[in-house]
Amino acid sequence: MNEDEAFEYVKNTLRKEKITPYHSHELEVVKSVERCINCGLCISHCPVVAAVGVDRFSGPRSIAVELSRSPPEFWSTADVVYLCTGCGTCREVCPKNVDIPEVVNLIRARIFEHRPDLVPKSLHVLREVLTEYYLAFEPWEDKEEKNESRDMRLERLGLPFVQDKILDKAEVLLYPGCQAEERAQEVREAAKVILDHFDVDYTLLDDMSCCGLPSRLMGDHETERVLAKQLKEKVKKLGIKTVVTTCAGCTSSLSDISYRNEWGVPAVHILEFLAEEIGLEKIDSATKGSTEFSDVHVTVHDPCHLIRHTSRQITDFALDILRQLPGVKVTESEANDSCCGGGGLVSYHSDDVAKAVVKENMEAIQKTSADRLVTPCPLCTAQIESNLFKTGSSVEVDDLTVFIAQRLPKKR
Amino acid sequence: MCMSDSEFDVVVIGGGSTGTAVARDCAMRGFRTLLLERDDIASATVGTCAGMISSGLKYRSEPDIMKMCSTEVVHLNRIARHIIMKNPILTPFRDLSDVGSDMEYVESYSEHAEERDVPEMMFLTPEATIAIEPLLHPDVVFSVYYEEFFIDPFRLCLLQALDAKRHGAEIKTYCEVIGFETVNDVIQGVVFYNRITGTTEKIGAKIVVNAAGPWAPKIAGFSGAELELRLNKGAHIILDRRVVNVGISVKALDGRYIYLFPHENTTLLGTTALDTWEDPDSLVASFDEIEYLMRSIETYIPSIRDARIIRTMAGVRPLVADWKVPEGKVTRGYQVIDHENGLISFTGGKLVMCRHMAEAVTDIVSKKLGNDSACTTHEKPLPGNEADVDVEALSAEYGVSMHALERMRARRGTEMTKILELTKDHPEWKTTICTCEPIIEAEIRYAIREEFPQTLNDLRRRLRLGTGPCQGTFCTYKAASILSEELDLQGDDFLVDILDFRAERWKGIRPSMRGEQLAQEELAQGMYSCVGNLDQSDVDYDLKPWEEGV
Repeated sequence: MNEDEAFEYVKNTLRKEKITPYHSHELEVVKSVERCINCGLCISHCPVVAAVGVDRFSGPRSIAVELSRSPPEFWSTADVVYLCTGCGTCREVCPKNVDIPEVVNLIRARIFEHRPDLVPKSLHVLREVLTEYYLAFEPWEDKEEKNESRDMRLERLGLPFVQDKILDKAEVLLYPGCQAEERAQEVREAAKVILDHFDVDYTLLDDMSCCGLPSRLMGDHETERVLAKQLKEKVKKLGIKTVVTTCAGCTSSLSDISYRNEWGVPAVHILEFLAEEIGLEKIDSATKGSTEFSDVHVTVHDPCHLIRHTSRQITDFALDILRQLPGVKVTESEANDSCCGGGGLVSYHSDDVAKAVVKENMEAIQKTSADRLVTPCPLCTAQIESNLFKTGSSVEVDDLTVFIAQRLPKKR
Repeated sequence: MCMSDSEFDVVVIGGGSTGTAVARDCAMRGFRTLLLERDDIASATVGTCAGMISSGLKYRSEPDIMKMCSTEVVHLNRIARHIIMKNPILTPFRDLSDVGSDMEYVESYSEHAEERDVPEMMFLTPEATIAIEPLLHPDVVFSVYYEEFFIDPFRLCLLQALDAKRHGAEIKTYCEVIGFETVNDVIQGVVFYNRITGTTEKIGAKIVVNAAGPWAPKIAGFSGAELELRLNKGAHIILDRRVVNVGISVKALDGRYIYLFPHENTTLLGTTALDTWEDPDSLVASFDEIEYLMRSIETYIPSIRDARIIRTMAGVRPLVADWKVPEGKVTRGYQVIDHENGLISFTGGKLVMCRHMAEAVTDIVSKKLGNDSACTTHEKPLPGNEADVDVEALSAEYGVSMHALERMRARRGTEMTKILELTKDHPEWKTTICTCEPIIEAEIRYAIREEFPQTLNDLRRRLRLGTGPCQGTFCTYKAASILSEELDLQGDDFLVDILDFRAERWKGIRPSMRGEQLAQEELAQGMYSCVGNLDQSDVDYDLKPWEEGV
């Protein structure tokens, strides 16, 4: 056997033994989990454990001290690790900074590679959508219908329609993410309204494609790589200086891949762009004297992908902006930073778990006696809105980007 | 003295890999067999080995032994595959001049590869080598690839003992042989102290097999015979989790080979080889041994010190007494010595050949006692290896997580269904007791009822209790209360057993304590001293030789 044949033989043996060698970029994560001292602080804070108990989801501690120890056995953790919503609370409270959410991704990737049959079926369906359309949702078949849906949303929310801007070159790329592109179109539209209002030189992609986060979360590294590469090429071609997004998941994912794949371009959430680039003063003067709206009492939900995967500063920006909007009263909820259950693709296959997780948020929201919940993420918005609706709550839910756009005076 | 009228054909002394294999073979061939072990099954030498059932590649100067090792691997894979895992292994080289005559290994290993269903040794490019193990030094110029099998040494010994029991043998642990009854210098009976009942007992024996490992000379001495061994210390460092993708074997600072092997859910770094005259009972890994292993592996895995060391373990090899040669040149074969006074002793041997050693001695016993039944130990499966286990189906049926069941399967094979049956009447026994392994309560109860443990340390050997990164920080009290309930232990016994268990963990933790394990030990100390007040306990407990006084 020559050396090449030998390598092929060894690779085949490793596959049989269900060993995928740790890549050098994963070694940091493995090292972090070696720091676990089994103290159990994370279990007391994990929203999934709190919601469904350790018999259903054995929790972050078990992922650190038990499930992540032996790669050839990773397949047998599939009934547990796919229930992690990836909120990152464990990592935040861990005295040893163990990177559990990344350990989960590392394990899921091995399960996906060696035992795809143990990956929840609905995630395979999602994968098919992603590989066929490069989007996390099947696109509208009829563009007209999509536009009608958009217009209905705009009308209901009192938002003006701003024409799509697709340029060859611009300062800013507005990246709405799959959810706002195909489902929560009002968020995409609201972002356009905001950028247009402040005369930002921006463009949309002529061919929107997913950042790869859903692929990463299900363990499908191959599709993740394809998507990330595609997006990098599009961004590079435009020569933009900043990527602005309205989705919490996209914010953390884009920050991550833009750093890892050396885009040389930062990716920020629109709240950060508003606070840092536009400036609170401009927002203040733009929204002053807006009398169109009656007073509203709001409470805020902080998306995990912003506060724990990117920076807590972003929701500070959210509060800064909200507090200076005329007629807006903000009451913080006791569970403002508790996971909505919508993360980690859990709701795709275990909706009962996702629903149990969001319950804590529901109760805390009711307690604030706010009329409205706002959150800077279309996914959290959808998850909380549908659950509040089902419990018969009168609290309404708005994506924060929409809420801000509504309060800008109409141009012309 | 408590006189017993029991009369055995064969009394086996020692509950290690060899002793349990002998008891099994004797019982299967129909002899009335008793095994006496002064501590617990697998509590000494075999419990400190890496579990490699070696192809014998290091023994190329002894072709017969290589052949025997290879055949034994085939047998073990037949009788005990449920407790065996395969490790792909790389031996990387940074310098061609390091290779030298070592290439002879390639040929001798490959000679028997086919029967073990592994490939011949292969050469890999530096790129392939680094892709398989990115922790390796970038200067690697090539590597050699081969495969070896690894067994759970504790379970192997226990399964051999349990199988012997099933074939009618008696297994007595905590019974220390203190003398022989002789007539005309020929052994008629064995005198032992029963550490559980606190009584001295005597039983009749036609033939006594001395499989006491490092203590074999002492046993032989009781009969008036002389036996010499070359005792050789070996220490391992145990790292948290599998830190390497495959086994790595490298040339150490002194030209020997050392290894870093993924083993179950840990990684073992070993081993040293030092002639020793220390008491095997209180032996710990020395600073020099730890540094020798770390510095040697560091030449190929520069970041090894970032990995978390959870503990060390040290044991004694009872080598054949060849002197005036380096340890590596001492035969790895075994000798059977008939003292012609009713006692037959072993010297030498390796884990992989324990069954072969048993067959050889049982053949002699058969001849002496006039029994011509053939050896079947290489054909009949050990308990649990009767069929494949469908972990997914069992998980769905009994509502226990797949990973807990996969770990249970690796310990027990088909026998695990008996444990899961217990959860039908006691669903609360699905509770996880040891979080690192993990172990559920039902398995602890089952092990106590069926596998004759007396202490928490015995449970550790049967279940890997407290062997994970937290080293028993959280499971000790929980397991102790279950053990107390099952064995009806009194309050003081409960505390002494906890202290014994903690002391045994400390024995391995102390020598290598550094880095992240310091934080773990701080937490454990808080648990046992500040919460449990164990340091202030007034129970009657003698500090172990490796513990400091208060």
